[in-house]
Amino acid sequence: MILQFLLAMTATASFAVLYGVPKKQFFFSSLTGALGWICYLTFFKLGVGTVFASLFATFFLTIISRFFAAIRKNPVTLYLVTGIFTLVPGAGIYYTSYYFIMNDMSRFTAKGMETFKIAGAISIGIIFGFAIPQRLFQRKK
Amino acid sequence: MSDNKEKLTLAVEIGDALLRNGAEIYRVEDTILHILDAFELENFDVYVLSNGIFASANEDREDACSIIRHVPLGDVHLGKIAALNQLSREICENTCDIEEAWERLRQCNLLPSPKPWIQGIACGIGCGCFCYIFGGKFLDSVCAFILGIFLQYMRMDQIERKSSKFMTNIIGSAFLTASSLIFLNLGLPVMQDKIVIGGIVPLLPGIALTTSIRDLFNGDYLSGAIHLLDALLTAMCIAVGVGFVIITYQHIPGGVKLP
Repeated sequence: MILQFLLAMTATASFAVLYGVPKKQFFFSSLTGALGWICYLTFFKLGVGTVFASLFATFFLTIISRFFAAIRKNPVTLYLVTGIFTLVPGAGIYYTSYYFIMNDMSRFTAKGMETFKIAGAISIGIIFGFAIPQRLFQRKK
Repeated sequence: MSDNKEKLTLAVEIGDALLRNGAEIYRVEDTILHILDAFELENFDVYVLSNGIFASANEDREDACSIIRHVPLGDVHLGKIAALNQLSREICENTCDIEEAWERLRQCNLLPSPKPWIQGIACGIGCGCFCYIFGGKFLDSVCAFILGIFLQYMRMDQIERKSSKFMTNIIGSAFLTASSLIFLNLGLPVMQDKIVIGGIVPLLPGIALTTSIRDLFNGDYLSGAIHLLDALLTAMCIAVGVGFVIITYQHIPGGVKLP
Protein backbone atom coordinates (compact mmCIF):
# COMPACT_ATOMS: atom_id res chain seq x y z
CA MET A 1 0.00 0.00 0.00
CA ILE A 2 2.83 2.39 0.90
CA LEU A 3 4.60 1.47 -2.32
CA GLN A 4 1.41 2.12 -4.27
CA PHE A 5 1.07 5.48 -2.55
CA LEU A 6 4.63 6.52 -3.37
CA LEU A 7 4.39 5.34 -6.96
CA ALA A 8 1.08 7.11 -7.52
CA MET A 9 2.67 10.22 -6.08
CA THR A 10 5.69 9.99 -8.38
CA ALA A 11 3.47 9.33 -11.37
CA THR A 12 1.27 12.32 -10.65
CA ALA A 13 4.30 14.49 -9.96
CA SER A 14 5.83 13.65 -13.33
CA PHE A 15 2.57 14.56 -15.06
CA ALA A 16 2.54 17.77 -13.08
CA VAL A 17 5.94 18.51 -14.66
CA LEU A 18 4.53 17.83 -18.12
CA TYR A 19 1.66 20.23 -17.62
CA GLY A 20 3.87 22.99 -16.23
CA VAL A 21 2.56 23.10 -12.68
CA PRO A 22 4.57 25.70 -10.69
CA LYS A 23 7.30 24.15 -8.55
CA LYS A 24 5.74 25.27 -5.28
CA GLN A 25 2.60 23.26 -6.02
CA PHE A 26 4.27 19.98 -7.05
CA PHE A 27 3.94 18.43 -3.64
CA PHE A 28 0.24 19.23 -3.31
CA SER A 29 -0.59 18.14 -6.85
CA SER A 30 1.10 14.80 -6.40
CA LEU A 31 -0.39 14.32 -2.95
CA THR A 32 -3.85 14.81 -4.47
CA GLY A 33 -3.23 12.15 -7.09
CA ALA A 34 -1.79 9.69 -4.57
CA LEU A 35 -4.64 10.16 -2.10
CA GLY A 36 -7.16 9.69 -4.91
CA TRP A 37 -5.52 6.45 -5.97
CA ILE A 38 -5.31 5.11 -2.40
CA CYS A 39 -8.98 5.95 -1.92
CA TYR A 40 -9.78 4.01 -5.11
CA LEU A 41 -7.76 1.00 -3.95
CA THR A 42 -9.33 1.01 -0.50
CA PHE A 43 -12.87 1.05 -1.86
CA PHE A 44 -11.93 -1.51 -4.50
CA LYS A 45 -10.63 -3.88 -1.83
CA LEU A 46 -13.82 -3.42 0.14
CA GLY A 47 -15.50 -5.04 -2.85
CA VAL A 48 -17.69 -2.22 -4.14
CA GLY A 49 -16.52 -2.74 -7.74
CA THR A 50 -14.57 -0.50 -10.10
CA VAL A 51 -17.45 1.85 -10.90
CA PHE A 52 -18.32 2.77 -7.33
CA ALA A 53 -14.66 2.86 -6.32
CA SER A 54 -14.08 5.41 -9.12
CA LEU A 55 -17.11 7.40 -7.99
CA PHE A 56 -15.96 7.65 -4.38
CA ALA A 57 -12.34 8.25 -5.32
CA THR A 58 -13.22 11.10 -7.70
CA PHE A 59 -15.51 12.65 -5.13
CA PHE A 60 -12.75 12.48 -2.55
CA LEU A 61 -10.19 13.77 -5.06
CA THR A 62 -12.35 16.77 -5.95
CA ILE A 63 -12.81 17.69 -2.30
CA ILE A 64 -9.07 17.46 -1.62
CA SER A 65 -8.33 19.58 -4.71
CA ARG A 66 -10.77 22.23 -3.60
CA PHE A 67 -9.33 22.17 -0.10
CA PHE A 68 -5.77 22.62 -1.40
CA ALA A 69 -6.96 25.30 -3.81
CA ALA A 70 -8.47 27.21 -0.89
CA ILE A 71 -5.45 27.00 1.39
CA ARG A 72 -2.87 27.54 -1.38
CA LYS A 73 -4.94 30.23 -3.16
CA ASN A 74 -4.63 28.70 -6.62
CA PRO A 75 -7.13 27.49 -9.21
CA VAL A 76 -8.64 24.08 -8.46
CA THR A 77 -7.62 22.92 -11.95
CA LEU A 78 -3.98 22.69 -10.86
CA TYR A 79 -4.66 19.86 -8.44
CA LEU A 80 -7.70 18.22 -9.97
CA VAL A 81 -6.41 17.76 -13.51
CA THR A 82 -3.13 16.13 -12.53
CA GLY A 83 -4.77 13.98 -9.88
CA ILE A 84 -7.51 12.64 -12.13
CA PHE A 85 -5.05 10.79 -14.37
CA THR A 86 -4.83 7.91 -11.91
CA LEU A 87 -8.56 7.32 -12.29
CA VAL A 88 -9.22 7.80 -16.02
CA PRO A 89 -10.04 4.34 -17.44
CA GLY A 90 -7.07 3.85 -19.77
CA ALA A 91 -7.09 0.10 -19.17
CA GLY A 92 -10.77 0.06 -20.07
CA ILE A 93 -10.14 1.74 -23.42
CA TYR A 94 -7.31 -0.69 -24.17
CA TYR A 95 -9.19 -3.87 -23.28
CA THR A 96 -12.35 -2.70 -25.04
CA SER A 97 -10.56 -2.21 -28.33
CA TYR A 98 -8.53 -5.38 -27.79
CA TYR A 99 -11.58 -7.63 -27.30
CA PHE A 100 -13.28 -5.89 -30.21
CA ILE A 101 -10.38 -6.80 -32.48
CA MET A 102 -10.22 -10.33 -31.05
CA ASN A 103 -13.92 -10.76 -31.88
CA ASP A 104 -14.64 -11.61 -28.26
CA MET A 105 -18.05 -9.93 -28.30
CA SER A 106 -19.23 -10.83 -24.80
CA ARG A 107 -16.09 -9.54 -23.13
CA PHE A 108 -16.05 -6.53 -25.48
CA THR A 109 -19.55 -5.52 -24.41
CA ALA A 110 -18.77 -6.07 -20.74
CA LYS A 111 -15.55 -4.02 -20.86
CA GLY A 112 -17.07 -1.31 -23.01
CA MET A 113 -20.00 -0.87 -20.65
CA GLU A 114 -17.66 -0.85 -17.68
CA THR A 115 -15.49 1.83 -19.25
CA PHE A 116 -18.51 4.00 -19.97
CA LYS A 117 -19.79 3.49 -16.45
CA ILE A 118 -16.41 4.49 -15.00
CA ALA A 119 -16.36 7.64 -17.12
CA GLY A 120 -19.88 8.39 -15.90
CA ALA A 121 -18.88 7.69 -12.31
CA ILE A 122 -15.96 10.10 -12.63
CA SER A 123 -18.33 12.78 -13.93
CA ILE A 124 -20.77 12.27 -11.09
CA GLY A 125 -17.93 12.26 -8.58
CA ILE A 126 -16.65 15.61 -9.85
CA ILE A 127 -20.16 17.08 -9.95
CA PHE A 128 -20.91 16.05 -6.37
CA GLY A 129 -17.52 17.32 -5.29
CA PHE A 130 -18.27 20.75 -6.73
CA ALA A 131 -21.79 20.79 -5.34
CA ILE A 132 -20.43 21.34 -1.86
CA PRO A 133 -20.71 25.08 -1.06
CA GLN A 134 -17.52 27.09 -1.40
CA ARG A 135 -17.78 28.70 2.03
CA LEU A 136 -17.11 25.35 3.74
CA PHE A 137 -13.64 25.41 2.21
CA GLN A 138 -12.88 29.03 2.93
CA ARG A 139 -13.46 28.66 6.65
CA LYS A 140 -10.62 26.18 6.89
CA LYS A 141 -7.97 28.78 6.02
CA MET B 1 -6.57 53.61 -28.88
CA SER B 2 -9.13 55.00 -26.49
CA ASP B 3 -8.76 54.29 -22.84
CA ASN B 4 -11.78 52.04 -22.57
CA LYS B 5 -10.82 50.07 -25.61
CA GLU B 6 -7.43 49.39 -24.07
CA LYS B 7 -8.96 48.19 -20.82
CA LEU B 8 -11.31 45.89 -22.67
CA THR B 9 -8.45 44.56 -24.78
CA LEU B 10 -6.37 43.83 -21.70
CA ALA B 11 -9.22 41.97 -20.03
CA VAL B 12 -9.92 39.90 -23.13
CA GLU B 13 -6.22 39.20 -23.66
CA ILE B 14 -6.00 37.78 -20.14
CA GLY B 15 -9.11 35.71 -20.77
CA ASP B 16 -7.66 34.54 -24.08
CA ALA B 17 -4.45 33.40 -22.37
CA LEU B 18 -6.42 31.59 -19.67
CA LEU B 19 -8.64 29.83 -22.17
CA ARG B 20 -5.72 28.86 -24.38
CA ASN B 21 -3.98 27.13 -21.50
CA GLY B 22 -6.93 25.04 -20.50
CA ALA B 23 -8.94 26.95 -17.90
CA GLU B 24 -12.63 26.19 -17.67
CA ILE B 25 -15.20 28.58 -19.20
CA TYR B 26 -16.61 29.75 -15.92
CA ARG B 27 -13.21 30.92 -14.69
CA VAL B 28 -12.46 32.82 -17.90
CA GLU B 29 -15.82 34.58 -17.91
CA ASP B 30 -15.55 35.40 -14.24
CA THR B 31 -12.02 36.77 -14.59
CA ILE B 32 -12.89 39.05 -17.50
CA LEU B 33 -16.01 40.37 -15.76
CA HIS B 34 -14.11 41.08 -12.56
CA ILE B 35 -11.32 42.90 -14.37
CA LEU B 36 -13.78 45.03 -16.33
CA ASP B 37 -15.57 45.78 -13.11
CA ALA B 38 -12.31 46.78 -11.41
CA PHE B 39 -11.54 49.15 -14.32
CA GLU B 40 -14.94 50.74 -13.78
CA LEU B 41 -16.28 50.15 -17.23
CA GLU B 42 -20.03 50.18 -17.63
CA ASN B 43 -22.62 48.08 -19.30
CA PHE B 44 -20.23 45.34 -20.30
CA ASP B 45 -20.92 41.77 -21.22
CA VAL B 46 -18.83 38.74 -22.04
CA TYR B 47 -19.64 35.48 -23.74
CA VAL B 48 -16.99 32.77 -23.72
CA LEU B 49 -16.95 29.53 -25.67
CA SER B 50 -14.27 26.89 -25.48
CA ASN B 51 -12.73 28.33 -28.66
CA GLY B 52 -13.84 31.93 -28.74
CA ILE B 53 -14.43 35.07 -26.69
CA PHE B 54 -17.00 37.79 -27.41
CA ALA B 55 -16.91 40.92 -25.30
CA SER B 56 -18.34 44.40 -25.42
CA ALA B 57 -18.36 47.44 -23.14
CA ASN B 58 -20.03 50.85 -22.84
CA GLU B 59 -22.75 49.65 -25.16
CA ASP B 60 -24.99 52.68 -25.02
CA ARG B 61 -22.31 55.37 -25.16
CA GLU B 62 -20.23 57.18 -27.76
CA ASP B 63 -17.11 55.11 -27.14
CA ALA B 64 -18.76 51.69 -27.36
CA CYS B 65 -16.29 48.97 -28.15
CA SER B 66 -16.31 45.25 -28.72
CA ILE B 67 -13.87 42.42 -29.31
CA ILE B 68 -14.16 38.98 -30.83
CA ARG B 69 -11.40 36.45 -30.34
CA HIS B 70 -10.85 33.04 -31.83
CA VAL B 71 -8.93 30.79 -29.44
CA PRO B 72 -7.92 27.40 -30.82
CA LEU B 73 -7.88 24.44 -28.42
CA GLY B 74 -4.26 24.42 -27.34
CA ASP B 75 -1.79 22.82 -25.00
CA VAL B 76 -2.38 22.84 -21.31
CA HIS B 77 0.06 24.80 -19.18
CA LEU B 78 -1.22 24.95 -15.63
CA GLY B 79 1.59 27.20 -14.44
CA LYS B 80 0.37 29.99 -16.73
CA ILE B 81 -3.15 29.62 -15.38
CA ALA B 82 -1.87 30.00 -11.83
CA ALA B 83 0.19 33.09 -12.79
CA LEU B 84 -2.70 34.70 -14.68
CA ASN B 85 -5.00 34.00 -11.77
CA GLN B 86 -2.61 35.86 -9.49
CA LEU B 87 -2.40 38.75 -11.97
CA SER B 88 -6.16 39.13 -12.26
CA ARG B 89 -6.52 39.02 -8.50
CA GLU B 90 -4.06 41.90 -8.19
CA ILE B 91 -5.85 43.90 -10.89
CA CYS B 92 -9.12 43.45 -9.03
CA GLU B 93 -7.50 44.67 -5.82
CA ASN B 94 -6.25 47.70 -7.78
CA THR B 95 -2.63 47.02 -6.81
CA CYS B 96 -1.55 46.84 -10.45
CA ASP B 97 -2.11 49.55 -13.09
CA ILE B 98 -2.66 49.01 -16.80
CA GLU B 99 0.94 49.33 -18.05
CA GLU B 100 2.19 47.01 -15.36
CA ALA B 101 -0.60 44.56 -16.14
CA TRP B 102 0.37 44.45 -19.82
CA GLU B 103 3.97 43.77 -18.88
CA ARG B 104 2.95 41.03 -16.42
CA LEU B 105 0.66 39.47 -19.01
CA ARG B 106 3.54 39.35 -21.47
CA GLN B 107 5.72 37.62 -18.88
CA CYS B 108 2.96 35.12 -18.09
CA ASN B 109 2.71 34.19 -21.75
CA LEU B 110 6.47 33.72 -21.92
CA LEU B 111 6.55 31.26 -19.02
CA PRO B 112 8.55 28.41 -20.48
CA SER B 113 7.42 24.82 -20.80
CA PRO B 114 9.90 22.41 -19.21
CA LYS B 115 12.94 21.55 -21.34
CA PRO B 116 12.46 18.69 -23.82
CA TRP B 117 14.66 16.20 -21.98
CA ILE B 118 12.94 16.96 -18.68
CA GLN B 119 9.58 16.40 -20.37
CA GLY B 120 10.84 13.15 -21.83
CA ILE B 121 12.13 11.80 -18.53
CA ALA B 122 9.03 12.99 -16.67
CA CYS B 123 6.78 11.25 -19.16
CA GLY B 124 8.87 8.09 -18.89
CA ILE B 125 8.74 8.06 -15.11
CA GLY B 126 5.01 8.71 -15.21
CA CYS B 127 4.40 5.83 -17.62
CA GLY B 128 6.60 3.48 -15.61
CA CYS B 129 4.88 4.27 -12.32
CA PHE B 130 1.40 4.03 -13.84
CA CYS B 131 2.33 0.71 -15.40
CA TYR B 132 3.31 -0.61 -11.98
CA ILE B 133 0.28 0.63 -10.07
CA PHE B 134 -2.04 -0.72 -12.76
CA GLY B 135 -0.72 -4.20 -12.13
CA GLY B 136 2.54 -4.47 -14.09
CA LYS B 137 5.75 -6.00 -12.75
CA PHE B 138 9.12 -4.28 -12.44
CA LEU B 139 10.27 -5.31 -15.93
CA ASP B 140 7.03 -4.02 -17.46
CA SER B 141 7.59 -0.68 -15.77
CA VAL B 142 11.08 -0.45 -17.20
CA CYS B 143 9.69 -1.09 -20.70
CA ALA B 144 6.94 1.49 -20.15
CA PHE B 145 9.57 3.96 -18.93
CA ILE B 146 11.59 3.59 -22.13
CA LEU B 147 8.51 3.81 -24.35
CA GLY B 148 7.23 6.82 -22.40
CA ILE B 149 10.39 8.78 -23.18
CA PHE B 150 10.08 8.03 -26.89
CA LEU B 151 6.38 8.81 -26.82
CA GLN B 152 6.93 12.25 -25.32
CA TYR B 153 9.61 13.11 -27.89
CA MET B 154 7.21 12.00 -30.60
CA ARG B 155 4.44 14.18 -29.19
CA MET B 156 6.70 17.21 -28.91
CA ASP B 157 7.77 16.70 -32.51
CA GLN B 158 4.16 16.47 -33.66
CA ILE B 159 3.25 19.63 -31.74
CA GLU B 160 6.12 21.47 -33.38
CA ARG B 161 5.02 20.37 -36.83
CA LYS B 162 1.44 21.27 -35.90
CA SER B 163 0.12 17.98 -37.17
CA SER B 164 -3.37 16.90 -36.24
CA LYS B 165 -4.00 15.77 -32.68
CA PHE B 166 -5.87 12.74 -33.99
CA MET B 167 -2.86 11.50 -35.88
CA THR B 168 -0.63 12.07 -32.85
CA ASN B 169 -2.90 9.90 -30.74
CA ILE B 170 -3.32 7.16 -33.34
CA ILE B 171 0.38 7.01 -34.13
CA GLY B 172 1.32 7.25 -30.46
CA SER B 173 -0.85 4.36 -29.33
CA ALA B 174 0.08 2.31 -32.41
CA PHE B 175 3.76 2.89 -31.62
CA LEU B 176 3.26 1.77 -28.01
CA THR B 177 1.42 -1.38 -28.98
CA ALA B 178 3.92 -2.27 -31.69
CA SER B 179 6.91 -1.74 -29.39
CA SER B 180 5.34 -3.76 -26.60
CA LEU B 181 4.77 -6.61 -29.07
CA ILE B 182 8.42 -6.37 -30.07
CA PHE B 183 9.45 -6.65 -26.40
CA LEU B 184 7.19 -9.69 -26.09
CA ASN B 185 8.69 -11.34 -29.14
CA LEU B 186 12.25 -10.69 -27.98
CA GLY B 187 11.46 -13.29 -25.36
CA LEU B 188 11.22 -10.96 -22.40
CA PRO B 189 8.82 -12.23 -19.73
CA VAL B 190 6.63 -9.13 -19.95
CA MET B 191 2.91 -8.54 -19.70
CA GLN B 192 2.31 -6.79 -22.98
CA ASP B 193 -1.10 -5.38 -22.02
CA LYS B 194 0.21 -3.73 -18.85
CA ILE B 195 2.98 -1.98 -20.77
CA VAL B 196 0.48 -0.49 -23.18
CA ILE B 197 -1.89 0.54 -20.39
CA GLY B 198 0.92 2.32 -18.57
CA GLY B 199 2.15 3.88 -21.79
CA ILE B 200 -1.13 5.33 -23.03
CA VAL B 201 -1.76 7.31 -19.86
CA PRO B 202 -0.18 10.51 -21.26
CA LEU B 203 -2.48 10.27 -24.28
CA LEU B 204 -5.65 9.86 -22.23
CA PRO B 205 -8.17 12.71 -22.36
CA GLY B 206 -8.18 13.28 -18.60
CA ILE B 207 -8.04 17.05 -18.88
CA ALA B 208 -10.68 17.28 -21.61
CA LEU B 209 -13.00 15.03 -19.60
CA THR B 210 -12.56 17.03 -16.38
CA THR B 211 -12.99 20.39 -18.09
CA SER B 212 -16.04 19.24 -20.01
CA ILE B 213 -17.77 17.98 -16.88
CA ARG B 214 -17.06 21.19 -15.04
CA ASP B 215 -18.33 23.28 -17.97
CA LEU B 216 -21.50 21.22 -18.19
CA PHE B 217 -22.00 21.53 -14.46
CA ASN B 218 -21.66 25.30 -14.64
CA GLY B 219 -24.32 25.41 -17.36
CA ASP B 220 -21.98 26.06 -20.31
CA TYR B 221 -23.49 23.24 -22.33
CA LEU B 222 -21.97 24.16 -25.67
CA SER B 223 -18.40 24.37 -24.39
CA GLY B 224 -18.90 21.27 -22.29
CA ALA B 225 -20.13 19.40 -25.35
CA ILE B 226 -17.10 20.54 -27.37
CA HIS B 227 -14.69 19.24 -24.74
CA LEU B 228 -16.67 16.05 -24.26
CA LEU B 229 -16.50 15.38 -27.99
CA ASP B 230 -12.79 16.05 -27.82
CA ALA B 231 -12.43 13.50 -25.01
CA LEU B 232 -14.48 10.85 -26.81
CA LEU B 233 -12.61 11.29 -30.09
CA THR B 234 -9.26 11.06 -28.31
CA ALA B 235 -10.33 7.81 -26.65
CA MET B 236 -11.47 6.48 -30.01
CA CYS B 237 -8.18 7.43 -31.65
CA ILE B 238 -6.28 5.50 -28.97
CA ALA B 239 -8.51 2.49 -29.56
CA VAL B 240 -7.95 2.73 -33.32
CA GLY B 241 -4.16 2.87 -32.90
CA VAL B 242 -4.11 -0.15 -30.59
CA GLY B 243 -6.56 -2.11 -32.71
CA PHE B 244 -4.78 -1.46 -35.98
CA VAL B 245 -1.49 -2.84 -34.72
CA ILE B 246 -3.06 -5.92 -33.13
CA ILE B 247 -4.95 -6.78 -36.34
CA THR B 248 -1.76 -6.46 -38.35
CA TYR B 249 0.13 -8.55 -35.81
CA GLN B 250 -2.38 -11.37 -36.05
CA HIS B 251 -1.78 -11.63 -39.78
CA ILE B 252 1.97 -11.94 -39.38
CA PRO B 253 2.95 -15.61 -39.21
CA GLY B 254 5.06 -16.73 -36.25
CA GLY B 255 5.49 -14.65 -33.13
CA VAL B 256 4.14 -15.16 -29.64
CA LYS B 257 0.39 -15.84 -29.45
CA LEU B 258 -1.67 -13.24 -27.67
CA PRO B 259 -4.02 -14.45 -24.94
